[in-house]
Order: sequence, then C-alpha cells, then structure tokens
Amino acid sequence: MSSTTSKSALGEFLGNLVRAPRAIYRAAFRTGAPTTDRSRSDFVFGNVFLHLHPVRTHRWSLRWTTTLGLGIAATAAFLLTLVTGVLLMFYYKPFPEAAYESIKDIHFVVPTGRFIRNIHRWAANVMVVAVLAHMVRVFFTASYRAPREFNWLIGMGLLVVTLGLSFTGYLLPWDQLAYWATTIGANIAQSPRELTDSLGITEQFDPGGLQKQLLLGSDTVGAESLIRFYLLHVMILPLALAALMAVHFWRIRKDGGLNRPEDADARLGPAPDATYPVFTEAPKKTYHLAAIVQGRTPAVRRGPENTVPSMPHLFYAELGVLMVTVLICVGLSLLANAPLKELANPSVPENPAKAPWYFLGLQELVSFSAFMGGVGIPAIVVVGLGLIPFLDREGAGSGDWFGGPGGARLVVWSAIVGLAAVLAVEAFAIQFGWIRQWFPHAPQLLITLVNPGTVLTAMYAAYSIWLVKWHNSTRAGALGLFTCFLCGFVVLTIIGTHFRGPNWEFYWSPAQWPTH
Amino acid sequence: MNKNKHLLLWSSLGVLALLVAAAVEENFLKTWRRIQASASTAQGPIDVHLRQIVVPDLKVTDRCVSCHVGMAPGMADLQGGPVLAAHKPMVHDPNEFGCTVCHGGQGLATEQADAHGEVRFWPEPMIPTRYASAGCGACHSHLRVTDLGQMREGRNLVERYDCLACHRIDGRGGTLRPGGAGGMEGPDLSHVGITGLDPDWYQEHLAQYEKAETGPWKHSFGPVDDKDRQAMEGFLKSRVGASELIEAKALFHSLGCRGCHKIQGVGGDDGPDLTRFGERDPHLLDFSHVPGEHTFVHWIAEHFRWPAKVVAGSKMPDLGLTEPQIDKLTLYMLSLRQSHFPEAYWPKDRILVERFREREFATDGATLFGTFCAACHGPAGEGRRFPESSPFPSVANPDFLAVASDDFLAETIRRGRPGRRMPAWNEAEGGLRDGEIAEVVAHLRRMAGVDKPEVVSPRPRWVQAGVDPGRRLYAAHCAGCHGAQGDGVEAPALNNPILLSTATDTYLLETIRRGRRGTAMPGFAAPSSPAYPALSPTDIESIVAFIRTWEDSSK
Amino acid sequence: MSETSSLVRSRLDPEPVPRRDFLGLASMGAAGAAMLFALVGMLRLPKAAVVASPSKKFTVQLPDSLAPGKAHIPAGRSVALFRDEKGVYAISLVCTHLGCIVKEAAEGFECPCHGSKFTADGTVTKGPAPTALPWLKVTPRDGEFVVDEDTTVPQGAKVTG
Repeated sequence: MSSTTSKSALGEFLGNLVRAPRAIYRAAFRTGAPTTDRSRSDFVFGNVFLHLHPVRTHRWSLRWTTTLGLGIAATAAFLLTLVTGVLLMFYYKPFPEAAYESIKDIHFVVPTGRFIRNIHRWAANVMVVAVLAHMVRVFFTASYRAPREFNWLIGMGLLVVTLGLSFTGYLLPWDQLAYWATTIGANIAQSPRELTDSLGITEQFDPGGLQKQLLLGSDTVGAESLIRFYLLHVMILPLALAALMAVHFWRIRKDGGLNRPEDADARLGPAPDATYPVFTEAPKKTYHLAAIVQGRTPAVRRGPENTVPSMPHLFYAELGVLMVTVLICVGLSLLANAPLKELANPSVPENPAKAPWYFLGLQELVSFSAFMGGVGIPAIVVVGLGLIPFLDREGAGSGDWFGGPGGARLVVWSAIVGLAAVLAVEAFAIQFGWIRQWFPHAPQLLITLVNPGTVLTAMYAAYSIWLVKWHNSTRAGALGLFTCFLCGFVVLTIIGTHFRGPNWEFYWSPAQWPTH
Repeated sequence: MNKNKHLLLWSSLGVLALLVAAAVEENFLKTWRRIQASASTAQGPIDVHLRQIVVPDLKVTDRCVSCHVGMAPGMADLQGGPVLAAHKPMVHDPNEFGCTVCHGGQGLATEQADAHGEVRFWPEPMIPTRYASAGCGACHSHLRVTDLGQMREGRNLVERYDCLACHRIDGRGGTLRPGGAGGMEGPDLSHVGITGLDPDWYQEHLAQYEKAETGPWKHSFGPVDDKDRQAMEGFLKSRVGASELIEAKALFHSLGCRGCHKIQGVGGDDGPDLTRFGERDPHLLDFSHVPGEHTFVHWIAEHFRWPAKVVAGSKMPDLGLTEPQIDKLTLYMLSLRQSHFPEAYWPKDRILVERFREREFATDGATLFGTFCAACHGPAGEGRRFPESSPFPSVANPDFLAVASDDFLAETIRRGRPGRRMPAWNEAEGGLRDGEIAEVVAHLRRMAGVDKPEVVSPRPRWVQAGVDPGRRLYAAHCAGCHGAQGDGVEAPALNNPILLSTATDTYLLETIRRGRRGTAMPGFAAPSSPAYPALSPTDIESIVAFIRTWEDSSK
Repeated sequence: MSETSSLVRSRLDPEPVPRRDFLGLASMGAAGAAMLFALVGMLRLPKAAVVASPSKKFTVQLPDSLAPGKAHIPAGRSVALFRDEKGVYAISLVCTHLGCIVKEAAEGFECPCHGSKFTADGTVTKGPAPTALPWLKVTPRDGEFVVDEDTTVPQGAKVTG
C-alpha cells in the first residue's frame, strides 16, 4: 500500500478507463476490420450470425439462375414476420372481441400499427409463396438427391410449419373471415370421421374428433381455441420453425453447399482476374480435420477452387435478396391493407367461407370429400414428396434445371397432361355432378374412395408409372408426377380462389355472385 | 459480381422511398391532424393528438372527438371549420355517454369513412343526422306513446290557446322578456315530459288570469275545460326530447302495423319481428330494386312505397302512405334497436316496462284495437279486404255481437285461428294480457252498440239432428263461399279447430238463422234470394251437426 | 483490374481488395439507411398514441351524519371526503411516494408500504413521501358532489353546496 504503487495503479485504472471503448470493440470483433480476404474469412468465422456461411462460396452458387434466391427470400420473409409479429404482440389481446378491438386499435391508433400489420400479413403470404417456389426449385434441379435427402425432409417439415403458422395466424383477428376459415379448418381436421363413420367404428375409434378437440380445445371455435392458436402462432410453431431452419442451414453446409452439376467448373470458365486462388501458400488453418473421423465429406474430389470469398460476394447477394423481399412486402403493404371483416358472429356464416388462399386447392378437394380432400390426398402427397429422394437414386442431371431424361421437354409435356387432367376432371364434376347427384343413396364409403380428387390422384399416379416404364428412369416418373401435382395444385387453387362463390357454386367471376 | 450490388442498392433505395412515403402519410396527411391543426382557441392553437371518450360501463371508446374536437371534454369554443363545433345542448352529456351510443358508427375508427361506418364490414353505420333521434331507441326502446289522434289534438290545442306566446316548444314560440333580462316569459316546455308537469300549473295560470286587468295574461290565457286540458297535458307529457321519435312511433301504432309485426314480444305474426330491425346490417340487404344510393334509409323508404317490389314475395300490402308518413316510419324503423347496457343506465320508461310490466302504449280498448286489430279488421271493425287475400271478418258487426258471447270473443282473440291470418294474441304468443283482451271485447261491443249477446245458449252442445241432410244442405247453400270442406274460400273457414271448439251450437245456429247484415252472409230464417231459400230450424240444426263432423276429423 | 493481376496473388496480400468500391459502399449505405429508418419507425410503435383512461370523475352523496374531521371514503375509490363548517373537500389517498393507498390512522393517514405518515389535511410528517397528499376538485351538484380525480386544487380549498 505504498503511495507510488497506488499512484501508478490509479494511472493504470484511468488509462484502462480511456481505453475501455476500444477494448470492448476488440473483444467483440476480434478479427479487426475485414479488409483483406483473410480477415474477412476470420470475420465470417468469428461471427455467430455469419458462421453458418462458408468462408468461400463457389461461383456456381452465386449465379441467379441457380437458386433464384428463393430460400433466402423465404428466410427474409420469416424475419419480417418475426419482427413485425413481435411488435404486434405489444397491442394484441388474445381474447374474443378484445382481440378484434385490439386489431382495430392497431389499425386506427397505434403508431405505424396498420403498416406493421400489413407487412406482417403480406410477408406471411410471401413466405408461403417463397417456400413453395423454393421446393419447386429444389425439385426441378434434383437437389434433393444424396447426400441431401434428409434436408429435403427437413424442408418439407418447414413447409408444413410455415402453413401451420399462417393458418394459426388466421384466427387471431377474430373477425368473420378468421372465424369461419378456422371453423372449416377444424372440421377438416375432424374429417377422418367421414371414413370412420362409413365404416361404423367412430364410437370406438375417432381420430378425427380427437384432432378437432386438440386443435380447438372445445367443440366450437371460442376463447379456448383462440388462446391455443395464439400459443401455437407466437410460441410453439416459431420455435419449431427456427429449430428446423437451423438444421436446414447447417445441413446445407454439411452436405457440401449448394448442389451443382459435375461439370460446373468447366461450364463457368476461368475465374475472373480479381478472384484469388485458395492454395497459393500454406493455409493458415487445416480444414476438415473432422473428415479423418467421419471418413467421408461431400467435398472430397472437389477442391475449394473456383470459389470467391463469401464476404462480400455472397453477402451482397443475400442482402440484395433480403432487400428485394422487403421491398415487395412493403410495397404490397402500401397498396393493400390486411383484411379485417366484421366481428366474428357464430350465427351468421360467411358465404362463401374461404380458407387462406393456399388451402383453397384443398378446399376444392374437400368439397368432394372432406376426408380424402382434407386428409387422404394431402397425406398421399406429403408421403410421396418425402419418399422422392429415396426412390429416385439416379445421378444424372443433378444441379441442372429439369435435368434428367427428356429434361424440359418432359416437364412441358407433363404440365400439359397435368393441366388437361385436372381441367377435365373439374369440368366434368362441375358440369355433370358426381355420384351423389346420380345415385342419392350411394354409400358414403364409395364417394370417399371415388371422387374427383381421388380420380385425379390416380390419373397422375398412372401417368408417372407409365413414364418410369417408358423412359426406364425413376427421375422421369418423379419429374412427371411432381409437375402434374404442381399443375393440379395451381389449377385447384385458382378455381377455389376465383371461380367458387356462395354455396361453393361455380361462377365465372365474383361479379356474378348473387347479392344475398 | 456487380449485379448483386446493384440489386442491393436499388432495392434498398426502393425500400427507403416506400418507408418515407408511409411515414409522411401517417404523420402529415391524416385528416384528423389537419383538422386539429386548423383549430384554435382564444389562447392559440390546440395540441394535435388523438382524442377519445372512454366509458367502460357502456363499452364505449369513441375517437369521434379526434375530428369533432369541439365535442371533446373541455374543448368547447374552438375557432375553425364547422367540424369543430360543440355539441348542441343535450340531456345526455357526450362526455358521459360517448358518441356511438346514440349516433351509431365506428367509434374506434379515426378516418371519416370508417368512423361513419360507410364501409363494408362495419354493420352499424351512423344514423343519418336527419334521423338522429332514432338513436334514442337504443336505450329508450320502450318510449311511451299515446294515441296519435289525441297527441295531434293536444298540439292543436296548445297552439289554439296561444301557449306559444310565452313558452317555447321544440324551437318554436316563446318571447323574451323586455330587454332580455330574465330570459323567456315562460319556461321552455320542449323537455317537460322528463321532469313532469307542475301539477298546479293550471291553478297558477288561472290566478294570474283573474288578477290581470289587461295585458297578455288577460288576452292569451283564460279558462280551459277539463277535456282540452287533459289533451294538452297528454301532448306535453310526450315532450321528452325526442318528440319526432314519439310521433313516429305513435304513427306506427295508429297505422296498425303491430297487427302483423311483433316488437318486444307484442304484435302479430304475419310479418317479420321488427324488434331489432334498426340494427340490420345494410350490406346484407338486397338493393337490386332500390333506386339511388345504397343506404339503409333509402331501402326502408322504398320498401314502404313498394313493399313487394323491394322484397320479392312480401305479403305486406301497399299502404298508400304519404311521403311525410314514410319519413316518420323510416325514423321509427331506424330506432328499433336494443342496447345491452347495465341497468343503472336504463331509462325510466324501459325499467317500467321490463321490470314492472307496464305498457309502452295506452291500454284502453280503442287504442288496443287501433294498434293491433284495425289493420285487418278496419278502423271501425267493419272488415276489410286486400288484394290476394280473403276478406277479414267484420268483427264489429251487430249481428255477430248479438250472437257471440264475451267468452267466445275473448277466447277467439286469445287462441286465434291457426292456419288462417288471425294469430293467437294470448300473452305467450301475441303478447296481450287477459285484461287487455277484455278491453278489446268491450270496445267491440261499444262500436257495435250491442252491450251483451241477445241469445245465450243453455248448453254449449245440444244439437241432435242427423248429419246427412246437413251435408246435402251445406253443399247446396254454404259450400259456395265456405268451401266444400269448410276451409273457407271467400268466407271464414268453418273447419277451424279453434272455432269448432269455442263456438256453441247456439252461436252457429243463430248465425245461420240471422246472417250478418252488411256482409255476404245472408240469414236463412227467411228467403233472401232464389239461391238462399228459407231453412227450417231442423235443417239448420242438421247443418250445424254436419259442421260438427269436421271437429272429429280435425282432432 | 489488370493492375491487380500483375501483383503477386497472395491471400496474405495486405490490400487485395479495391478500397474504393463506390457501388458496394453505396449499396451497403442504402441498406443501412433503410434498416435504420425502419428501426426508428418500429420504435415508435410501443408508445401508445391514446391510452384508455376513462374519465375519473365520480359523484358521491355525503351522509348527513358525517362528523367534521371524519373521512367518508366512497366504495371502490381512493379518495377521502370531509365536511366541516367551512365546506366539503376531498383528499387523494394515493401515497405520493410510490402509489400505495394510505390508511386512516389515529391522526391523519399512514402508508402501509414504506411508512410515510400524513396529517389529516395531507401534509407529510414522516417517511419518504416527497409531497403532501393532493386535494382534489369537488363540485357541488344537486345536493351531491362531483369529485374529479384528475384535477388537484390547493390545500385548504373547500366548497359548500
């Protein structure tokens, strides 16, 4: 405790105090300013938000046509809904009537509230579109193949959670649109009863009733359902989505980055001058020590050449796509308000009561048979999609759009077949009706099994089996089946959205709907 | 790689531009901001911020005062546009009751179209200012009305006795004292129905009259006879602030609309229940046959002009109303609302009706008959016919009342004629109480001048005659009007179970014997025309016996 | 970029990246500006533009038996009304320290939360309360009294009515 040491300690203390801001900065950003390729790589490594990216990105991955940026767009839309959703939670009250009034408040008096809600709504729609389009892209570039099969399954999980998020959000405003769309959704969940009823086993085995009960917490949509949907919408599903997203992104890296054709390097040509080769000198770090343990990495036989530093090249692309997504959502939000109808009224049904647009294809199928449309066919589609990577074990055409036997020509033909089939079946059903109109006493089981939806599914399945035989290629069958289902989905969705009016009757345009 | 930079640059700039546009729209272009910025008090401009009236008991959150700032608490005396005006003096302070409770509209909204409810998806648009007093109906759903004729008479008397020389009523009349000191000569009587009349008013006026030698008291006030005074008091008691609504309601009652339409459980069944008609969502109405703007008011008015044109298949007759009548009825239709406020907020009239079983209408026989019966049976009970319906019986016919007992009449009113247009008026169905039905029966007797039946049956059923001659005679003389099976083609149905169970044999027999003068029913005691020869008492008895056979089959 | 290619191409090269990338800087700047602007807009949301505060006026009828210096506390309200020979006045019972409701004590009021004590006219005698209990505006109306909890009056202002 001599005075000299205390003095110098005091000076050191003051010096530390002066240096503290800089020290804090250094502690946060250890790598310094990212001015060289190496420091940029270090920066990417050292940043928790960036380290999911590779430090170097193959030039093929940065071509716009490789991915169309759809995965990033979906992520960006999710981030937008996340941020705006948290903001909306400041004012939203999850209780009937109070919920409706709080949305009115958000619309009319909350600063920026209406804009934020519009963005939330539009971003949710953009997210659904982006996720679907992303899946289409992955399928048509055959990027689901080994070693990416499992990531395809994760992606399907993400699709289901995305739809679930969107559907649960639908009820929260507690208006007529919300109430009746949810009522229909809940009754679709109950639709296995159609099958169990016609088999006469509902008393003993009632999965449909259980599903509805679990979803609503009650027999009808009410306060219990609202709080459940709220919990699902703001807690369970977002957490599930975030967890699946983390796995999805991590698997992209572990599966060797974005899929690219074998001959990608040759097709890209020599790297531009500004691109620095990786192995000019001894690398600072040894990569893939883990490979010794694991025995195999996707990067085997592929040198890290023909790559560019992720920072900044990949980040410009990602930020650019993010901003484009934001631009689309914000622009749509300025153009059109998120809908808010009358306060939910359980005694006055909406006519027509329509689900969210991406479920209207299902609702069209449901109008033929609740079970097959709402549960049976979706289950067939989900299982079929999930099995694709395990059934198609070919290698040719991977990473190319429509790669495979016949390629784009096969897809075009399949689209024609798919469109023709769905239009023919729909036109027939609209024009001539179905079994119930001809034989009023036909058993329900017959209608459940044989209805336009199942007929269409069977036609698509038969067509794709024929393709497998004809081209002697599983990829051909997969391409054909996927294209057909895509056409079916699009056409049914358009019919459900635009051509169905009160009582689910066919109208050429909403202007022809009767006024009552 | 520059194209990604371009992508980022231009999309970012686009986002920035859109965000700036949104910020400008929200912070500078809102109507309520412009209105508040233009307002000023004597002290200078006012703060620009959202304003609202919150009344938790009434579930009211009304932001109307964000634009109508002059009606916000403590914001009177603003200079600026007409939108800033203060509310006119009212019994109900807007700060205690909010705005939408009376005016309708969307209190939560802060933009004109939404707030006034002129948007899809808002089922309670504002009540047009012209019909503003319809809003009173939400709470004052049981406003008491007297007979329209009595009310008119009272008004005429008030004018004839020159009361308006000193008193002001609904903005008319009244004189300022010389120099303006002390205000009006007499108190404003526009709301005197709320506070009640001073019971001594007549004595005081008379004393002044007797004291005065000359001057206004001598000229404009003199003795008033009791009958006139009652009429005037009846009129003055209806002055409760919503006099248009009271008159509209009185008109509705005097036209007999409740003979077909139920309101609050009292009324006929032929037309739809109108209890909450004023709350109907205009967007659910069919406007395809309504010219002009698609407003609720237009729909109602056009429906009164041409009921069957606006609502296809409507049984409502074309009432031949004048335009002022249509206007009043429209007001009344808009006022048919029902609020769900705590009882502490209920007005006296509503408590009297809902808790103390009082009536909102006068319960003398004449008023009851005029309100519930006259629309079909005619104002004097003479019976009526409307196109496409069989004629309504002439219930005040002396020949009818001479053979019908009071019990038969009351039971007929109570139970109606199922299957025919006559509804059951008992308390559970038509809503009338037994005492009121007795009043109606007494009124029928007064109208016909027959104070008791001339014939009284010894026993309800005594006819023993054979059925077969009756069947033949009925087919020959009765079936033409009453139908082969008694189901009533032109004339009343005779196979009606209620008629058969309540009518005595004497009643049926005497009716056939005497007929009903003034109607198509001839008497068969004497030959009236070649088609209707005289029938012997035995013949008539056998017809009665034949009619009775339908009783068994209808059981 | 021909200059660059003539250099030794090394990952350890201190300046391999062109320093003046105007396009890149502009795009990053624009993105940053857009995000910052959005952030400012979002930060405005949590502060409500209107708060649902109903009018805090209420009407009381004082019992005739109310003795001078004795408090009348209407049910559900945090206001004490007094009547003495000079008139009627109301004192708020909300402690000026941290908002607890003070209780009547032998002389004046005391706060159960942190021990502040007040005299019968609201003056602080002990404890952490910074100011006296406020007197509220009372307006006589038809034999009753309207108390406005939102408006304070100077200590000692009494009304008759």
